[in-house]
Amino acid sequence: MISATHDIDIMDAHIGVFDYRNLFRADRVLIVLALALVVIGLLTLYSASRSAYSEIPYYVKQMVFFVAGAGLAALIVSFDYRFLISFAPFFYVLCLVLLLLVEFFGITVKGGQRWLGVGPLTFQPSEFTKLALVYMLAWYFHTIQHRIRYLPFFLLAFVITGIPMVLILRQPNLGTAGLLAPVLFVMLYMAGCKRWHLVAVVVAGLAAIPVAWTQLEDYQKERVRTFGNPAADARGKGWQTVQTMITVGSGGMWGKGFREGTQTHLSFLPEHHTDFIFALVAEEMGFQGAVVVLALFGALLWRGIVLARGSPELQGTLVGVGAVTILAFHVFVNIAITIGLMPVTGIPLPFLSYGGTFYVTTMMCVGAMLSVDVRRGMFSETDGA
Amino acid sequence: MLDHPEKQRYPEFHKRVRLLGIALFVALCILAGRLWQLQIVDGEHYTQQAERNRLRPQVLEAPRGMIFGRDSSIVLADNRAATDLMFISAESEDPEAVAERLAELVDIDPQAFLEQVHEHRRQPYTQIPVKRDISRTALTRVEEHSFALPGVFTVVRPQRRYLYGSTGGQLLGYLGEIGPEELQRMRPTYKMGDRIGRGGVEQYYESRLHGTDGQLLMNVYASGVPQVRTDAYGRPYIETDSFGRRLREETQYPPESGESVHLTLDIELQAFAEGLLEGERGAIVVLNAETGEVLAMASQPTYDPGVFVKHGEDEARREALTDSDEPMKNRGYQDAYPPGSIFKLAMAAAALEEGLVSRQTRYFCPGHFQISNRGRRWRCWRRSGHGHVEMNEALAHSCDVYFYNIGLELGVDRIHEWMTRFGLGVSTGIDLPREETGLIPSREWKRETRQPHYPNEPWEWNWYDGDTVNLSIGQGAAGTTPLQAAVMTAAFMNGGRRVYPFINQELGPARVSEPFLRPETVEAVWNGMFMCVEKTDYPSGTGIRAQVEGLAVGGKTGTSQNVGLHHLEQYGDNVEDIPYHMRHHAWFVAGVPDEDPPIAVSVLVEHGHAGSRAAAPLAREVVDYFYTYRAPSESLLMAKREAEDE
Repeated sequence: MISATHDIDIMDAHIGVFDYRNLFRADRVLIVLALALVVIGLLTLYSASRSAYSEIPYYVKQMVFFVAGAGLAALIVSFDYRFLISFAPFFYVLCLVLLLLVEFFGITVKGGQRWLGVGPLTFQPSEFTKLALVYMLAWYFHTIQHRIRYLPFFLLAFVITGIPMVLILRQPNLGTAGLLAPVLFVMLYMAGCKRWHLVAVVVAGLAAIPVAWTQLEDYQKERVRTFGNPAADARGKGWQTVQTMITVGSGGMWGKGFREGTQTHLSFLPEHHTDFIFALVAEEMGFQGAVVVLALFGALLWRGIVLARGSPELQGTLVGVGAVTILAFHVFVNIAITIGLMPVTGIPLPFLSYGGTFYVTTMMCVGAMLSVDVRRGMFSETDGA
Repeated sequence: MLDHPEKQRYPEFHKRVRLLGIALFVALCILAGRLWQLQIVDGEHYTQQAERNRLRPQVLEAPRGMIFGRDSSIVLADNRAATDLMFISAESEDPEAVAERLAELVDIDPQAFLEQVHEHRRQPYTQIPVKRDISRTALTRVEEHSFALPGVFTVVRPQRRYLYGSTGGQLLGYLGEIGPEELQRMRPTYKMGDRIGRGGVEQYYESRLHGTDGQLLMNVYASGVPQVRTDAYGRPYIETDSFGRRLREETQYPPESGESVHLTLDIELQAFAEGLLEGERGAIVVLNAETGEVLAMASQPTYDPGVFVKHGEDEARREALTDSDEPMKNRGYQDAYPPGSIFKLAMAAAALEEGLVSRQTRYFCPGHFQISNRGRRWRCWRRSGHGHVEMNEALAHSCDVYFYNIGLELGVDRIHEWMTRFGLGVSTGIDLPREETGLIPSREWKRETRQPHYPNEPWEWNWYDGDTVNLSIGQGAAGTTPLQAAVMTAAFMNGGRRVYPFINQELGPARVSEPFLRPETVEAVWNGMFMCVEKTDYPSGTGIRAQVEGLAVGGKTGTSQNVGLHHLEQYGDNVEDIPYHMRHHAWFVAGVPDEDPPIAVSVLVEHGHAGSRAAAPLAREVVDYFYTYRAPSESLLMAKREAEDE
């Protein structure tokens, strides 16, 4: 009882918006799963560094990003998620400002104006926008409560999502912009919107595909066409698709061995340290390795859902589910592209792909997933008392 | 806390969360299923594709087999190491300075060189050829300045070398790049860009000389070209590709060099014979009459097969290919000429064998010949006639009328049959490509060739006695190659056997038939041949210019018409006045039966006009050279060998 009293004491009397002890209450299972993926990711990147040259090896840089990301995740966990949610409009507006800055002062790399430079550092505001939107939507749904069932409130959520989406689309960054839609849908659904509202929007969205098609850049249309028939131009536009399939397929059951991938290290497969890193796993570790990684992702996401469901409040659940959706979208779309189920577009794989801002965002998502859970024990204790 | 409004939505919420979980699981299953399909079901297929991506074979050219002369110490064709000067711009900071220096040292165009360097700037490890096949002295100069030539190095490759230049050029043949149709036929032994023997021994023994190319199987990158270099021993190896990335060797299949071919050719005799024909168009064939070995088969004009493998010989190459004198054709066996009077040797033998005449049978030659009293007159070359002639005299003086008579008695069918036995008008079976078989006309031949043109005019294609008369002295449609003439002659030098000439020693030593002539026949014809050369008292034999002191040489002249005699009447008796193309071809066949080895020689000089003047002296030179100048050394060599054997 002493401990229980103590807990109640913490919650009601002395709880602050910030408490580092939250870290010790965080869900161990999720942490272990995330760390397992981090280790696998760094090992894979170490293998990729054999042929992807960089002055400081990619896996070393990634470790720095891990430290930064883990720090930010710890910060998120230490804060009361309700406090963070109450600040969501501020983060949201901050991100919009950053996206506008990108629009005017952004750094262009490989045809996309996505980066902002601060001194020697560069980062992609669009990555942080993902998580900011999750918090913003949680804040919004929490604020409007059951009024979500009314159409105007339902539609306002689309406005909230639409503004950053348009800004990101203009970079252009189709992958990230595309991610915002499922985040919105899942969170709307979880927040308890009317089903037919959602169905109507999805149907309208499908009807708009022909219109959207005309808005696509030529290279994007080309990618979709190539997806239909990569062999038609195997040495040109279909190269990436064809070589990706060969890379994955040639891994077989047991793989070619750690750092022994021929397709990747003899540079038949471009971008094997970033968007196509899963092909490296599949080639070097084979079907069994790829399935282990898939299973780890599945377990991580499942655990995230469990934790979100366990959150005592809707806003916590929404943040958790939102974070899970971000990661799930990246995992599924990235792997689907890698194994030839979707046309090529730039979507990195959490924990494995090299890339600073995205890695930090991934860690923050894990932080968000953990944060909505740390207070559960307190409620149950309270309930029992 | 319990009445928190959100709690009310929990049952619905749990359903929704479960749906999310199910969606997650289904998505995972789809991904895993697809992975199964790619990696397990189609894994083998993709593994093969990955292997094909990864490994690139670099062909290691097999050294071509050598071609030896009669004696294994004599190399006719081998492979020398051609040194190419190459440049890698990645290893040089200042290509301009290198270009300047190279221009001084090996005389290259620095501008063109720098353009090439610029062209390959993205792949700076690409080997840029500076100069192909540089000379020893140039190489030494470059090596002396190597400190000022960073990035310059040499690559060695085998290059065919014909050590005797144009001597025996057509017999050895040359190398040319394989053509598209040949490639279709010869895959996968040959690849695009492979060199293949063309003409002569190089072509006939291609499969033996070619060898089996080896392979360096390299791990390559997606782009870039492996760069082959050669070590100090000329062995090829690959270290980097054109981007400078290190490549790893997977396996090496060393090339198997081609087998050598040892020829029966006596290259010195060949060179001597070619020298005799210098400035003429014609051929000299020398056979070992006992075995059929081709000792020499000279043909002028000739060409140097080396121009087809060397760099910078385009002009000479084009000349060889397009010259109207056809220097690449060996007139010894690739062109047929009307045999003229040399035909009489075989005619005489046939008549004797058939029992139509004996050595003593006489015919009267009044200088002309008629089948019937009102019919056409055939002239004897000697208008005043030879009077009564026996076989000896008929051969020695080449009396046409004598052979008109026996020709008619033999009839075309038997003539054709006998000529075929002598090897005229049929392939000699020599192991060289594109042999001309010549032609001995027959009834069937005349009908088959002419009937289609005159279906309703049988007089155009029926065989007449007049045709037989023409054929009796080797005129008309008859055509034989000098090689066939030598084969025919050889029969009178070896006791009446047909030889099947060959040039590859391995085909020997016995390429002769059983005797098909009786010894008396051989004896009779030989006597005529001997008289032809040796009879100096008036009227002398037609072949006296072939006499060699101390040697029993027999021979037969031949002078075959290209145009009817009446065309030449306007030009008088002086050969020089007759247009070249209207002059007769000059033949001489000769044999030396009693020496070791016995030889048969046949000489043809195109438009030499008279066998006795243009061809017989050449035969004399050949026989003289073969026995008088060469025999001692040959026998010395034999003695030495025998001594070694013991």
